[in-house]
Order: sequence, then C-alpha cells, then structure tokens
Amino acid sequence: MREKAIVFEVNERQHCTTIPSHRTLLEVLRALGYVDVKCGCEKGDCGACAVLVDGEAIDSCLTLAWTVEGRAITTVAGLGNSNNPHPLQAAFARNGAIQCGFCTPGVIIASESLLRKTPNPSDDEIRFALSGNLCRCTGYTKIFEAVREMVLTRSGGVLR
Amino acid sequence: MFAEFDLEMPNSLDEAVLALARSDGIETLTLAGGSSLMVDIRARRVVPERLISLARINELRRIEILGPRITIGSRTTVSDILRSNQVAEHGAALAASAEVFAGQMVRNVATVAGNIACGSPAADLVPPLLSLDADVVLTNASGFRTVPLADYFTGFKQDVRRPDELITAISWDVPGAKCANRFYKLARRKGDAITVTGVAVTLGAANGVCTKARVALGAVAPIVMRARAAEAMLEGSTLTVELIEEASLKAAEECQPIDDIRASADYRRHAVHMLTRRLVAGAWADLHLATEVS
Amino acid sequence: MSTTVKIPATHLETGSRQVGRPLERIDAKGKAVGSTRYAGDYVMPDMLHAKVLRSTVASANLRRLDVTKARALPGVVCVLTGADVPKHMVSTDIPGQTGSWGQNTGQPILVHDRVRYFGEPLALIASESRDIAERAMTLIEPEYEPLPGVFDPIEALKPEAPLVQGVGNVVASQMVRKGDVKHGFETADVIVERVYRTQFIEHAFLEPEVGLSWIDENDVINIHVSTQVIEHFRVVADAVGLPYNRVRIRGALVGGGFGGKEDVTVEIYLALLALATRRPVRLEYTREDSFVGHGKRHPFVMTYRTGVKNDGTITALEAKFIADAGAYVFLSPSVMVYAATAAPGPYKIDNLIADAKAVATNNMYTSAFRGFGAAQACVAYEQQMDEVAKAIGMDPVKFRRKNYMRAGDRTATGVVVPSAIWTEQCVDQAWTALGEPVEVSGPIKIGRGVAACLQGYGRLTSLHDTSEGWVGVERDGTVTVRSGVTDIGAGQVSALAQIAAEVLGVTLQDVAVYNSDSAVTPLAGTTTATRALYMTGNAIRQAAEAVRRRLAQRAAKAFNVPPDDIDMAFSKVFVADDPAQSMAFRDLVRICAAEGIHCSELAMFCAPFTEKLNPETGQGQVHPDFSYGAHAIELTVDTETGEITVIKSVGAHDVGRAINPAAVEGQIEGGAVQGQGYALSEEMIYKEGRLMTPSLSEYLIPTAMDVPQVKCIILESGSGLGPFGAKGIGEAALTPVAAAIANAVADAIGVRIAELPITPEKVVNALREKE
Repeated sequence: MREKAIVFEVNERQHCTTIPSHRTLLEVLRALGYVDVKCGCEKGDCGACAVLVDGEAIDSCLTLAWTVEGRAITTVAGLGNSNNPHPLQAAFARNGAIQCGFCTPGVIIASESLLRKTPNPSDDEIRFALSGNLCRCTGYTKIFEAVREMVLTRSGGVLR
Repeated sequence: MFAEFDLEMPNSLDEAVLALARSDGIETLTLAGGSSLMVDIRARRVVPERLISLARINELRRIEILGPRITIGSRTTVSDILRSNQVAEHGAALAASAEVFAGQMVRNVATVAGNIACGSPAADLVPPLLSLDADVVLTNASGFRTVPLADYFTGFKQDVRRPDELITAISWDVPGAKCANRFYKLARRKGDAITVTGVAVTLGAANGVCTKARVALGAVAPIVMRARAAEAMLEGSTLTVELIEEASLKAAEECQPIDDIRASADYRRHAVHMLTRRLVAGAWADLHLATEVS
Repeated sequence: MSTTVKIPATHLETGSRQVGRPLERIDAKGKAVGSTRYAGDYVMPDMLHAKVLRSTVASANLRRLDVTKARALPGVVCVLTGADVPKHMVSTDIPGQTGSWGQNTGQPILVHDRVRYFGEPLALIASESRDIAERAMTLIEPEYEPLPGVFDPIEALKPEAPLVQGVGNVVASQMVRKGDVKHGFETADVIVERVYRTQFIEHAFLEPEVGLSWIDENDVINIHVSTQVIEHFRVVADAVGLPYNRVRIRGALVGGGFGGKEDVTVEIYLALLALATRRPVRLEYTREDSFVGHGKRHPFVMTYRTGVKNDGTITALEAKFIADAGAYVFLSPSVMVYAATAAPGPYKIDNLIADAKAVATNNMYTSAFRGFGAAQACVAYEQQMDEVAKAIGMDPVKFRRKNYMRAGDRTATGVVVPSAIWTEQCVDQAWTALGEPVEVSGPIKIGRGVAACLQGYGRLTSLHDTSEGWVGVERDGTVTVRSGVTDIGAGQVSALAQIAAEVLGVTLQDVAVYNSDSAVTPLAGTTTATRALYMTGNAIRQAAEAVRRRLAQRAAKAFNVPPDDIDMAFSKVFVADDPAQSMAFRDLVRICAAEGIHCSELAMFCAPFTEKLNPETGQGQVHPDFSYGAHAIELTVDTETGEITVIKSVGAHDVGRAINPAAVEGQIEGGAVQGQGYALSEEMIYKEGRLMTPSLSEYLIPTAMDVPQVKCIILESGSGLGPFGAKGIGEAALTPVAAAIANAVADAIGVRIAELPITPEKVVNALREKE
C-alpha cells in the first residue's frame, strides 16, 4: 500500500488525512500548517524538528507519518501561545535563551520531554537531554539557565 | 523525502514474520526506530520496495530477567536501556554506551536490534553486548534460532540474518558478582557523535586470577570485533600493569582500522591501546574492590 | 543567575530607562511559542517547488547537459541550464546601498562550459512537487571532460598550476607597510618565526537557505527570503535584467547567518524560475544543498616573524597570509583587507609588513564569516604572542601588557582609534576570572590560555556606508519604527525598539518595528560587519530624537518652560525639575497631530567616508572604529587519548555601552562556543575539491555536552561610535576564542599544535614528536 488515510491528533486537534507511505511526520506536520516544527537537516542530526509523540520527544524527520496513526502529537505551539505561554516557553524568552529561534521549538520540546520524566535534573542531565539539539547562536549557556530556572520554579527553589 | 515503497504495519510478531515470509523477491527491509534506515533511504543508499514497520509490536519492547538470563526485546529503545535498573546492574557497559548514544530524540526511537542490524562497525551498543557474550535471537515464520553475537557479523554491513528473519531479542547471562564490565567511546565531540574508537571490556576473576576476559572493539575493523589474542593473554593470569600493557598493545595489533575523516588508522590503533589499557585496569580494580567488599 | 560582571566607565550617562537593561527581546516570545514565521514558512497557491542541480566534480569542462528526460517528466514545469541564461553572471559585489567600489564574483549563475568547484550549479528545476523535482534531478546526466584541478593555495601559486581565476590564481591581495621592518629586526634580541594554519569553516546556521518568489500585479518580482542583505534586490535585478524598482526583497526573521547569508543565496534562482514560469516558486535547500551552496570561511596559512627585545618590546613584525579563495572571488578582497590590517592585533608594532593574498583553487569558494579575516589573523597573532613570550621567558600576560596599543597610538594603517582601547582591562578581567584551577591527576593535564583581539565594527569606510531609518509616534502613544534591517538572531530589531523607547520615553512593549522589506522599509544596509547596531541604531536614534525635539518643543510651550527642561518617561511628558507638570505622551501626540506638527522622521546615518587604502603602503582608514576584547580558557587534555575538555570559558569585551546586556551576553556566549568549534572540532574537509563532510554528523559543531557555562564580563567604556556610546560585539565575541584555546592546549602539553582544528589525533601526534 502506498497511500492511505491516517487519523492522528496534533495539539489536541484531530486530523484525518491521506498520506503517501514515504512521507515523514515532519513533512506532514508542515503541510498541515504546523510550521513551528522546523526542518534543519532531515537526518536526526539537529533536533529542530522535535515533537512529542504521546509525551516522548522524537525527531519528526526520522518518523514515517503512518507510524503515528492514532497517537497524540504535541508541537511547540501546542505547549502554549503568546497570550498564555507554557512556563518553559516563558523561561526561555525571559532568560534570553533564544536568538535566531530556529532551534528553539526543538530545544523546548526536548527540555519538556526531559522535565516530564526527570523533574529535577542535574546540569549533566540537562546537557545530555539536549545533546541532540544543535544551537549555533546561544552557546547553550542561557538555554541551561532557562531550564534550570524552570526546575527551580517547579521544585520550589531546590536545585540539585 | 523522495522515495517509494510499500509500508506494512503488522500488529504482532506473528504478523511481522508472516509479512517477511511473503517477500517474494521484493527488496524488503524492516523498520524499527528509523534513526539509521530513514537516513539511508533519504540518501538513496538503500532503495527498498517494501518496508515492514515494527512500530506497533509492543511485545518486542521489554527487558526481563528469567533465571540466569537477561533478555532485551529487539524493539527496546536506547532510552529504555537508560531507564532500566536491570541493565545498569547486569550490563554496565551497555548502560554506559547508552549514555553516549546520539541525542535524546534518537535515543527515544533507536532500538537495540536496529543498532545491531545496521551493521555499522561504529554501532555503539554492539561492543558492550559483544563483551557480555550476548546472543541474538532470530525469528521467522517457522521458528527461531539463537546466534552468538560474536558469530553474527560476517563482514562490513554483512550478517547471518536471512531475509525472512527478524531480530527479536538479545540476551546474555547475568554476570556474577566477580565480573566487571566497562565501556568507553572516543569521539570527535562529546555529544551526539560517531565513534572514532569504542572499547568494551568484561573481566571475570576468581582467587585473584582473571578467569574471563572479553575485549570488544568498535570502529576499528569492518565489523565490531573481539580482540581474542589480547583476551587470551589476560585469561588465566593475575593482571599486572605490565601484562595489561602487553595485552592492550596486542589488541591494537589485532584490530584492522582504516583512515577516514574522523581519524587515521594509526590513531585508532593508539586509541585501542590506551582505552583497552585503561578499561582493563579499571575493570580489574572494580573486581578488586568487589573482592574487598565481599 | 547571570555570570556577568558589568564594569561601566564612571562617566557614563545615567538615568536611562530602557537602554542598558537586560530586557526580554521583543522577538523572544513569538519564537518561544512557535508563532514566528520564517521565510520557509510561507506558501502560495499554485506554487512550484524548485531544486538546484549541482556538479559532482570539481574541475571539468561541461561537455553536455541533457535535460530532455527531466523536462519530459510529468509534473516538471521548467528546467533551466546555462544555455537558457546566456549572459547572466552572479553580479554580486560588495553588497550595500552605496558601495563606492565593486568586485565581480566572476561566477556564471549556471555553468556554461567550465566547472570550477564541486557543487557548482548546473541547472534549475521547478515542478509541481518536491518529490518530482528530486526525481527530475536523477534524470539529468551531465557529461564532463575532467580537467586538472588545484586544491591547495600554495600549489596554486606555482607557475605550472592549473589556472582557476585571475592572474596566476591570485584573486585578491592587500599589503600594509609601516615603519622600517629591516631596522626593527636588526634591533631585536630574538626573532621568532612560526606558521599557523586554519581550516575551512561552515556557518552551520540552523535554518538552511530558503525563499519564495512570485510576480505581483505590478510585474514586480517579490522574493521572500532568508537573507542578511535585502539590498541584494539590485543584484537580482541586474542578473535578470529588470529595473531596480521591479524587484522587491522581503526578508523575515533569519534562522542564523554568521556571514553565510551575506552573499546572494537562492534569490537569483527564484527570480529566474518565477520569470520563466510566471508562477510562485519555492526553493528550500536541504542541509546538504546548504553545505555546498554557500561560501566558507577562508582557510589561512599564516607565517609570522616577530622581532623582540629581551625586555619584551616588539621591534618588528612580518606577517604573510595565504588564503584559499576557492573557485570564485566573492568577498575575498575585503577579507584580505581585514586580515592584513589586523595582522599585529591590538599591539603597538611600529615596524610592520603584512601581506595577504587570496588564491583561487578548485575548492569551494570562500567568503564572509563572522570575524571576516580578522578572526583568522587573531588565531595567528595571539598564538605568536605566546610563542614570543615563551622565547624570551616572559609571562604571556605581562608580555602582552608591555605591547598593548593604547589611546593615541596609531593602528597598523596609521590611524588613531577614535574610542577607548581597553585591551588591558579585558585581558586582566578574563584572566583573573578563571579563578582557582581545577585539580587533575595522572594523564590528565590542565592548561590555560588567553587571547586578546581587535575587531573593526562597521563596514570598510571606503564603502561609504549609510543607513536609513524611520520613527513615528501614533495617537495612542505607541511608536512605530521602520527599518530595512534584517534580524539574524542577535536581537537587531529589538535593539532598535529599545533605542526608540529610550529616546521617546515609552516602554519596549509600546514600540512596533517593521523591518526587512526593500520596497517599503527605509534601506538600513546589511546585517554584517558588526554594523547593524552601530549604523541602524544611530539612524533610529537620530530619527527618534528629531521626533522628540518637535514633541518637546510643543510640550515646552504647554508647560511654559524651555524645551531642554522637558523630559519623557513612562509614557508621560513632564518638566524635569517639576514632574507634577505633566501630560500623557499620547495626549501630546494628539495635540501635535491636530496642529500639523510632524510626528515622524526619516533619518540617515553616514559612517565615515574614506578613500581606499594607499596602494603603495596600505595606510589609511579601514574601519570606523574598533572593538577590543579578550577570552580566557581553562581546559584539560587527556595526554593518552588526546581528548580535550573545555572547563572554563570567559569572554571580556568592552562593548562601549550594552544596549541590552542580556543580548550582549548572548553574543559572547555564542561566540565562545563557535570559537570553540573553530579551535577543536569543526572542519569542512575537501578531498580533491569534493566535500567529505556533507552533513551535521560529519561537520561537528559543539553540542550541549561539549561546552562549559560561558562567563561574560561586559566592560563599558561608553566611548563607541554607536548609539549611547555602544561599540559592536557580534564578531569580536568569536575572534579571540580559538587562539585562547590553542594557547591553553600548548600550556597543558608543552607543545604547540599550530593547525586548527586541534583534534585528539593531533594532540597525540604532537606529544609523540615531543618525546
């Protein structure tokens, strides 16, 4: 079979769309208008296309769209919006963790995925969780600061 | 992505092996996490006509200990390994290799079997598994067979798996307390990098004598290889600094590295020497410590 | 938990309300929540998808390019080859709005007959889908007649070398002559000569090149594109033979530039295909396309010969640079000017010879990259400073202190710098901030290094650079800024909002900036050369101040005080000494509007205009001004494996005035990590011209696991030529880092690896040779 209708959810919205077998999730999401998911390399090197699938961060460029049938996808725009940003998004903006912003959607998704599993990560755990997200502008310093601030807020001020 | 293939999404292992059996000469590949295969398809290094995705076969995603064996289902991801206390306890080198494996998103999808099946001599999980004497379980429609990982690879990107077979599990004997297992990956970058040289070492000891030695080397030969001559030098002896040095030099002699953009063959041999020395000495110290504690 | 230490000059004007505060940038939230639209996020109905077919050989005659099969493929709408665009050359020169001199790249838009580098564009395809375009690519089979190539600039200088470009393959050169070098060397006690080498470097911005073009109802070609330079509309117009006012470039927030989006990227291809098909066309590079599709940082071979007295006084310097220009000229001439004139670094060297040559080869062409030749020079001059210090047995920081150029001293080209020179403060601060060394044992060795730099900000003064900007106030008290400036991620736009807010006494949230449209926003010039804040910031400040003056005059009338007594802050207008006399800013605007008082202003800021450097001596003004800074590094080296771990990384820079300190830190931190990649892991490897590192898994920029928390020390001399005394930081942040790392490695292992990148393998080999 080379084409079929797939049902899946993106940012709490149901989609049913006909997709060829070779389409990646990245291609499908962007074609559906989720252009907050960025394409930086299409081979899993840069992490700009990261999305959450049932809460776990994956590179959408390495994922065939058919394989997410029936699953729930969250892109960075699904975490919050400018009127009501997700606390992590607010922390990134406030800490200057964003420069050109092209890596940001992926970095925030990877950070969120980390914090959902490890609410109080060490510095090394933060670095490890973000090692698949390349950033060429910030030098990562303020990204670490933003994630740490988030941890601090959530843990009521206790940092490991 | 420009490609054309049939994509099948079996719901169970039975469906998957039946689908594989129905290949009829059509170039068929199995797709697990996709972190390696999707890259190859996009680059048109492989042009499959048919893909069988394992995405829905959750029965293959498990880590369990049955008696003396620890078994990892083939679709277990690198992140699953990182979260597993059993692997941390019974496969320290494997856990260590997962800690230097790609980036988070890739770790969340890349599978143990995929890392073996991709056939890369730089595959990070393979040296640790080789050092643990792991077996590979291959399943087809008529049954399964078990192949020692040491016999699995036959050449660069070549293996004993038949077209109708699926890797379904990897298993090894739970190492005893008198066993130490270490791994180190040397790369050009600390995060998310292709291995320049990876070395995994398992040592067993009894009464101050090394009873078992495994030295597995990654990215220094067409396949991930065992440094068998070095192992033979270590087994049956009490390890001294001199002996470890000699065995490490032997391992460097045994490997067959090439020059590539990451490093020269010469440097890789040097790295094998240094890392083997360091890991064997470290593992030996682990054993010594374990002895003292017990 | 900022690690920044701010050291302001005592005389800085105080009381600013917006400038100098680490405000959240106005573009930050949209980027955080994914609502920012980049150039690649736009589509149009009936849009075609384009691809560029490139050569897979580096030096050949193109015998035949049969595109019949590709044209016949259903869904392919257009295939263009060199034969279809016969007269076209990439006429990019020195981009900008005035450019008093130019330099043709010499490159045809599509290959006509000769292929000079791997990846040179052969054909353009437009089709109904990306899949079809990719399939069409496989249906075109170029036939080549291989030609001998030359892949090393030193080889290319030999008389028997194949000719790639120019005369004897030299495509650009710059010399500087100052004082009496012969005499200088005669008076030296010690002469140190060393050769330093750097590599091809890729910008690796996260957003590959992308654009969308369409022809509108007025026959204007519109191109929505990711670029540092919207002024390329003229280059596009020249290339396709249209009047300048019929090409409109609409920029977007750019997903990283670093010089890699300074030359034309996809614009000309998009224009040609839109004209040929009369349909909208989208062209998005893959990462692989991007890696072969834009120029790299020049690799340099730098020979330094320094004469020094035993007391540490430098008596003479002879510096020779040979740079690989690759197959076409592009910005090599300007890069050579930067390099040669930066040859002595921030040191007073009265007897100087510097010669820089850019040599054509069949490698990828090289062009702009953050630091622009001055960064390569720093790799050499700062390693050389350590080597000379070692040769005379002097502490490297003390040796530097003895030789710093200070206020009133003349630069290599004989100019007195108009601003403060705080090199010493920067070096001392960075060096001290390293604190206590970490403890190491066994095969792990610790090393420390420091490097100082100078980096011009603002484009070459011979280019006669200008920037226009518009500021207007609205009747609800909000402020609108219009500027052509492109924002490549450093906060260029946000800084303009901050400046306008400061001058007009409103908050950052009250300012909206409309930017980067060559047809409707005033042309601000390029976002290159650390000029955006300096040039555009000054233009916006001028415009805002003009508006403020008119408003203040009217307010003065209302309050019956002289205009100078009027202050504006917190969206109020009041008498400075008597704040009770006040009115809302918006009420004042309404009054002015009702009375026909002009509430907006278009201003133009001009950099100093000079002639080109004296052709005999290289003397004359090069840059409007210089930034000075330093970087210090502590690292460990595993002497068994050669692995290097950077432990501490401290950048200290005099930025004149930090308009937004958080943004300044961002530049220093990002520069520190780019510099670390330059020093340790990054290298575009070409083998016989063919790229061996075609993706981000082979070309290794640092990851989150590779870097320390960077520490920033912001010094504020208040002496810069930018708005509120600002200097530039964009390029200077990177420039000294690689040399500091190289010096730290040499300190750790006692032997210098004079060729970047310093790989584990080179460390091991150097240690073996030492034994």
